[in-house]
Amino acid sequence: MIGRLSQGQLIAAIGAVVLVVAMFLPWVGVSGPSVPAGITLPEGVGGGGSTSDNVWQGSTLDVYLLVTVIVAAIPALLALTDSAEEFSFVSAATFLLGVVGVILVAAFLTVDFPDGADRKIGAFIGLVAVIAIAFGGFRAMQEEDAADI
Amino acid sequence: MDANRLSQGQLVAAVSAIALFIISFLPWFGAPEVSGIGPGGASVTVGGNFSLWEAENPLDIYLLIVILVALVPVVLTFAGRRGDAPLAPFATTLLAGVGTFLILYQVFDNPGDLDRKIGLFLGLIACAGIAIGGYLTMQDEIGGERY
Repeated sequence: MIGRLSQGQLIAAIGAVVLVVAMFLPWVGVSGPSVPAGITLPEGVGGGGSTSDNVWQGSTLDVYLLVTVIVAAIPALLALTDSAEEFSFVSAATFLLGVVGVILVAAFLTVDFPDGADRKIGAFIGLVAVIAIAFGGFRAMQEEDAADI
Repeated sequence: MDANRLSQGQLVAAVSAIALFIISFLPWFGAPEVSGIGPGGASVTVGGNFSLWEAENPLDIYLLIVILVALVPVVLTFAGRRGDAPLAPFATTLLAGVGTFLILYQVFDNPGDLDRKIGLFLGLIACAGIAIGGYLTMQDEIGGERY
């Protein structure tokens, strides 16, 4: 089943799976002074220390990345279900969404990042995953062109 | 510049892209204004209206990319290099379609329960216009190849 996938489609699909996992890892961390042992805070008061958020608690980036994951995973899903359908535009769409995803995640990590917060591992894995999706889409486009010739 | 050299789809996408750029400076979100006394006794007001660029949201960068991609065929046509971007109509349709979906998502699930302002709704219409323009250009090109 998976053997039906081209190398580019496989790279994009693996990138999509990694991106889904990364979206549930911490992307933004806020460090604060922790409460010394033995001190009890009133109910409803934050306990200090460190907190972290994944991409789902953020902005529209989560929805965009989800769309990218779905498009990048379409060839793999079709292969897994033994579907005879083939969409010629999927590789180009994967490449385009991947490239824009790289720009958005890179902008999030630089200019758009919340002041005073820490960049966590999920954001970097997410960046690598969207780069893999963009590269996989580009490679799949090249493979399709070569097959046409 | 001769706008007649553009196809109907390119014209729709370009006009919508310019409209979206202008609309991006209108208020998109609003928060109730709260006044108080800040450090040093100065009066401080928090809240008010936010344009697309002022709201902490990656949607501004995304829609800027959509606007630029939609204007690429227009720039190339006026530069006499019409066939240099064969992927442009598809890219315009795809990215503007996703952009329309993202703005629609903001209408129903906006960050921090902010108020929805006129820019959000006009931006939705303009982005949908870009997607339709890109789609019409794709159809024109398919028709041009066929006949």
